[in-house]
Amino acid sequence: MLFSRYGTFTGGIDLPDEKDRTLSLPIRRAPALSRLRVPLAPCGGTPARPVISPGTRVSAGERIAAAEDASAVDVFAPLAGRVVGLTTAAVAGRYGPAVSAAIELADLAEPELLRPAEETYEWRRADEDSLRARVGEGHLTTYRRGVEPMSSLLARARRKACRTLIANVMEGEPFLTADHRLLVEHGEEVVRGLAILARAMGARRVLLVADRRRTESYRHTVGPARMYGISQVALTHKYPTGADVMLVKVLLRREVPPGGSVLDVGAVCVSAADCFALYRWVACGLRPGWRVVTVSGERADDPGNFCLPFGVTCTDLVPSAEPPVIHGGPMTGLKCSADLVTGPATRGILAVEAAPAPVPGPCIRCAWCRDHCPTRLNVSAMNDAFELSDFREAARLGAMACIECGVCSFICPARLPLTQRMKQLKRAIGTGLASPADRERGKGGAA
Amino acid sequence: MSESAAAPLREPPPATRRYPAFEAPFVRAPERVRTVFLVTTLAASAPLGAGVVFFGWRALVVATICVVSCTVLERFYYRLTRTPALLGRTHAYLTGILLALTLPAFVPWYVAVVASVFAIVIGKAIFGGVGHFLWQPALVGRLAVAVMFPAALNSGAWPLLAQSRIVVGDVQRAAMVEDYSGWRGRPAPEGADAFRVTPPGQMLEKLTRPASWTARGPACSGLMLARQDTPRAGPAALRAPAPDRLPPINDLLYGARPGGLGETCAIAILVAGLYLVYRNYVKWQLPVAFLAAAWGVAATAPVLLQGPSNTVDTVWFPLVAEGLDVGFTYVNYQILSGGVVLAATFFATEMTSRPVTTGGQVIFGLGCGAGAMLLQLYTGVPIPAYMAVLAMNTLTPVIDAAWRPRVFGRRRFAFLWRLVGR
Repeated sequence: MLFSRYGTFTGGIDLPDEKDRTLSLPIRRAPALSRLRVPLAPCGGTPARPVISPGTRVSAGERIAAAEDASAVDVFAPLAGRVVGLTTAAVAGRYGPAVSAAIELADLAEPELLRPAEETYEWRRADEDSLRARVGEGHLTTYRRGVEPMSSLLARARRKACRTLIANVMEGEPFLTADHRLLVEHGEEVVRGLAILARAMGARRVLLVADRRRTESYRHTVGPARMYGISQVALTHKYPTGADVMLVKVLLRREVPPGGSVLDVGAVCVSAADCFALYRWVACGLRPGWRVVTVSGERADDPGNFCLPFGVTCTDLVPSAEPPVIHGGPMTGLKCSADLVTGPATRGILAVEAAPAPVPGPCIRCAWCRDHCPTRLNVSAMNDAFELSDFREAARLGAMACIECGVCSFICPARLPLTQRMKQLKRAIGTGLASPADRERGKGGAA
Repeated sequence: MSESAAAPLREPPPATRRYPAFEAPFVRAPERVRTVFLVTTLAASAPLGAGVVFFGWRALVVATICVVSCTVLERFYYRLTRTPALLGRTHAYLTGILLALTLPAFVPWYVAVVASVFAIVIGKAIFGGVGHFLWQPALVGRLAVAVMFPAALNSGAWPLLAQSRIVVGDVQRAAMVEDYSGWRGRPAPEGADAFRVTPPGQMLEKLTRPASWTARGPACSGLMLARQDTPRAGPAALRAPAPDRLPPINDLLYGARPGGLGETCAIAILVAGLYLVYRNYVKWQLPVAFLAAAWGVAATAPVLLQGPSNTVDTVWFPLVAEGLDVGFTYVNYQILSGGVVLAATFFATEMTSRPVTTGGQVIFGLGCGAGAMLLQLYTGVPIPAYMAVLAMNTLTPVIDAAWRPRVFGRRRFAFLWRLVGR
């Protein structure tokens, strides 16, 4: 068997797949671009300080801004071009588009296609500390929602003594195929990146988790994975198996405490894009500054998997599609604002068939939200708590355990925006609208 | 617009304005509340069809009166009060058709209208409409007419069309028959379309309950034979020869018995219920728990028989008391003779008035089933199964508050840890 198999969790749904449009299309170079607005704060927080003056020409991979503190990263020019000046752009943050300073580049060079690069660094012989230092020098970020510097993720993982590293290539959401294509075309590099990360982290157990239906496409990763001691796991496509918390539950049989992260149970989850960017920097010395993005949806003129530099205006990629254009997956993504640009967390740009904004009706207590909730929350009771602004009750019912997967909103026959309400409840509880005791109770074990 | 960052906690009232923020998830499942109610209405028309077969066109008239008056009343109430949750009409159809299923086909039009008024106004509208009521609205209407028109509804003998007059016959043209012992092949009485026979539930009452409980007369009336005198009393009556014999149980299975126009045909109800389970509108645990509890209570709860010299004999475990064959038929007879099957499939499973969690639904179903059978065995209420469902509906908030499955990531057996103070 190519991939070993595991169990599952309660709840979850079968989503329509919708990946056929781009599943077999190879990664293409970006369309011709006239300008980029490279965000200076891809991780949120303080933006990096620009180190070039307007009008200068920069080459690809040249440093254009330097980080002020450890929670930010240096920014590099994704493409060669001329610096126009300082502007603003929005990047996808944890709670929605966040506006940050950006450097505008124009007169851009032709974007290049991804090519296998030569290894210039002997990472196989390097020890843990020098690998970690190398990762820190690369100013890499993670490539998932809630972007953070890779080095700070590593530091947190070490502080919590995490010993399990999981590369999550499930891509459970409809339409998205970016990680799939990356693994198909650059599987070996991804696996090497994972091995580097495992070494830097000091992981004892390394897992590469993929969708059971697609394992045939990843045959060529088997050999390298075996070489680096990475076990490959195939899981069902039931949504949200790809959510980190659920993955850890299935693979390690550990439940993340409400409001916590997978680090709390000793696991680190990364994506294929993380591993690939890490490999490109650590082994080949190539600066990060782009990622593979799926452009798809019923109304996208030219669907495909593109290798896009950071700073492309999202709505430009689907020029003829009317709003809303979606940034990320259709279950957890954001609606693109006009100034949203691609960043590390941009897995996809989707122009899906725009359903009219649903009119919510009264909850009929059908209990489908509860039955399908992967964290077994009584979402309809939580909805009552929301309508009464009763945050104590919501905390008592365990609102902090919500993983914001979007299943409850998807399934709700009354079209209630349940996921959105859950997010607001969680933020209200987290920011102290509920009393500290409730917060503790909501997070903690007993309640 | 950064909608999630700046979204206010309070949203505009739903039905009056389009929801402004279009947020993830951007794909939605096709099922809507409308579909749920329409499909349930469709499923409920299967027992209604069976009712039309056994009670003729008058069943259709009663159903039409109920549906029309429910819909009109709901529109009217909405015009008056603008209760937003009364906007859709599909739940009014559903309430009307469910109400019709519980009513016998021979009721005068005003009974159906009064039942609709109580169902819509008292059962649903004053609670705030769809999704807000506490009791199943159709059952509220049925209970109201059972109390208000006892003469019309709780009378001894109800009509049932003869086999040669099904569908087209008039159920009002009924004649009393003396030695009714089965429906199949029995010709229609002279000049009539229907037999007027005692509903099997009432027959069972006479057989299994001391006469002093039912008739207010001398304790030992002629209806009830002392157990010592004849072995035919109680469950054993099912084995007795005609004319003391009850109609065969197959009649109850396919619906040839007097009763509410939708509650008689168990087969049609079960088919509709299976469809609802297939559509995920009903979790199978609830009706199964309901029927299992009813079956269990009927199999174990004592039958009270008239002993010698006015004593009451208590026979426990009627399932085995007279032999398994008779006991099995007796228990199934108890289940099929009232509204238990219909209540388990359509009324206990009403989404708004049942608990949300699966475990809660099992508790709810067990309570309903046990209550229905206890009411049927030991009290004279005309609609035991529906009363039990209404009673358990009252307890739904309590069950929901009490039965809470462990949330993901919380400690197992948290309540035990709390007891020891950790």
